[in-house]
Amino acid sequence: MPLLELRNVASYYGNVQALKGVSLRVEQGELVTLLGANGAGKSTTLKTISGLVVPAQGEVLFEGKPIQKLGPEAIARLGISHVPEGRRIFPGLTVRENILLGASNRKGVPRRQLEEEADEKFTVFPEIKPFENALGWTLSGGQQQMLAVARGLMAKPKLLLLDEPSLGLAPLIVQNLFGTIRTIRAAGTTILLVEQNANMALSVADRGYVLETGSLTVEGTPKELLGNEEVRAAYLGGHHA
Amino acid sequence: MQFITENLQILFTGLGLGSIYALVALGFVLIIRATNVVNFAQGDFAMLGGYAMVLFFTGLGWPYWIAFIGALLAMAVFGVLFNYGVYYPLRHRSFLPVLISTLGASIFLQNTVLYVAGPQPKPLDKLLNFDGITLGGVFLDSQYIVILVATVALVFFTFLFFEKTLLGKKLQATSQDKDMARLLGIPVALMIAITFIYSAVLGGIAGVLVGPILFVSIGMGSIIALKAFAATIIGGFGDVKGAIVGGLLLGVIESLAAQHISVPYKDAYAFLALFLFLLFRPQGIFGEKVSEKA
Repeated sequence: MPLLELRNVASYYGNVQALKGVSLRVEQGELVTLLGANGAGKSTTLKTISGLVVPAQGEVLFEGKPIQKLGPEAIARLGISHVPEGRRIFPGLTVRENILLGASNRKGVPRRQLEEEADEKFTVFPEIKPFENALGWTLSGGQQQMLAVARGLMAKPKLLLLDEPSLGLAPLIVQNLFGTIRTIRAAGTTILLVEQNANMALSVADRGYVLETGSLTVEGTPKELLGNEEVRAAYLGGHHA
Repeated sequence: MQFITENLQILFTGLGLGSIYALVALGFVLIIRATNVVNFAQGDFAMLGGYAMVLFFTGLGWPYWIAFIGALLAMAVFGVLFNYGVYYPLRHRSFLPVLISTLGASIFLQNTVLYVAGPQPKPLDKLLNFDGITLGGVFLDSQYIVILVATVALVFFTFLFFEKTLLGKKLQATSQDKDMARLLGIPVALMIAITFIYSAVLGGIAGVLVGPILFVSIGMGSIIALKAFAATIIGGFGDVKGAIVGGLLLGVIESLAAQHISVPYKDAYAFLALFLFLLFRPQGIFGEKVSEKA
């Protein structure tokens, strides 16, 4: 049984159909990437999984159970952590407070333990440790992204949804971030990664899907996707990776 | 010397009245931050608190403290009803329907209380059994002392609650980004309900505190709310510190101006101050001109 499975999911934004029958699966322990151009429906796919968008049709199965009718709060409690596009750091809370709130989906964990876990996150993301008590909005884009991922991990997710973590970051910081994604994955977290930076995403992924205007067109291992002429032309800028 | 004691006396009275504005303004700000809506029934929370106290203490003859706690509990229950009756059904709409809904609630509450309790303002006993103390020629009325002490305690408690507890942080997170809060598993609807309960209790306390000074009346909430609203703008719209400082400042300005300029225009000075702020410092004392950051 896959950890996550989408069966023929269709989602709308108002009258616009953003997803047209998407079916995909993520196995336990996998790092799967979802590639595609702007507006292809990548973010909508993640929002449909995490409950921010309710699908008009189809099923979202998590550990075999349908979750498409649950709200985002309930889905977070099942162990799906969504780090959305644009990081969405709480601007008026400190870095440490942002991290602590990441564990809001876990019931009855004492504050002291949460503080210890937050300290652990600072060892994974040493870049943000000096800003522990600074307000969220004062961080740079790269630091905010680190913080967003750290906050997402506080949920102890079974499945981590990462939406465009490299967006707007300098190449060196992107490298650093993907190093961290590898570490998180090696520690056993299943990840569904949405990226426009296809080269970077395929360098860490086990499998990938390509999404075009709301439909999945190609699926395969990084090697297969990198060998696919159409995919290369469309998403890899013609580079030979 | 006479001049100094006279002005100290006015300052004391002004801070007392200002505390009431500050408490109601604080309730305003908490709801604005959680829901982006100005709650036009905020002043009526004070009115209801006052009437609950009159009912329990004067009407039913409960001991003062028991009646006080009873009034707070009644306000907490009312906060839940208000949340689910006035805000919740419209939560996915823009701010305007919600704002009109709170306005309707205000009219409904005032007329319901008018129907039940009648138009006569009700007297309410002071908390303490003595008139006050004289300190260096300044008479400190016991009820004003109670108001000041209670306000300091409530502001301190609010600070601890919002800044030191995880629940307080979740309330703040909810007010800053609801969708993100939901993605983290924070029960947003419950957080907003808690905000309404807290605001209703704060308003209720203000009403119970001011009742012995102004009498408990149907219209008491409206005038307090207008000034508290002016206080939130003067302090910096949506700013917690600003609500408290703005409220105190308004109380002092009002009392000083009434004494030195003209008493009949007492209620106008608050709005004059509001005009001046809107002209010369529209962002308020603590407000910043911020642009949205991506």
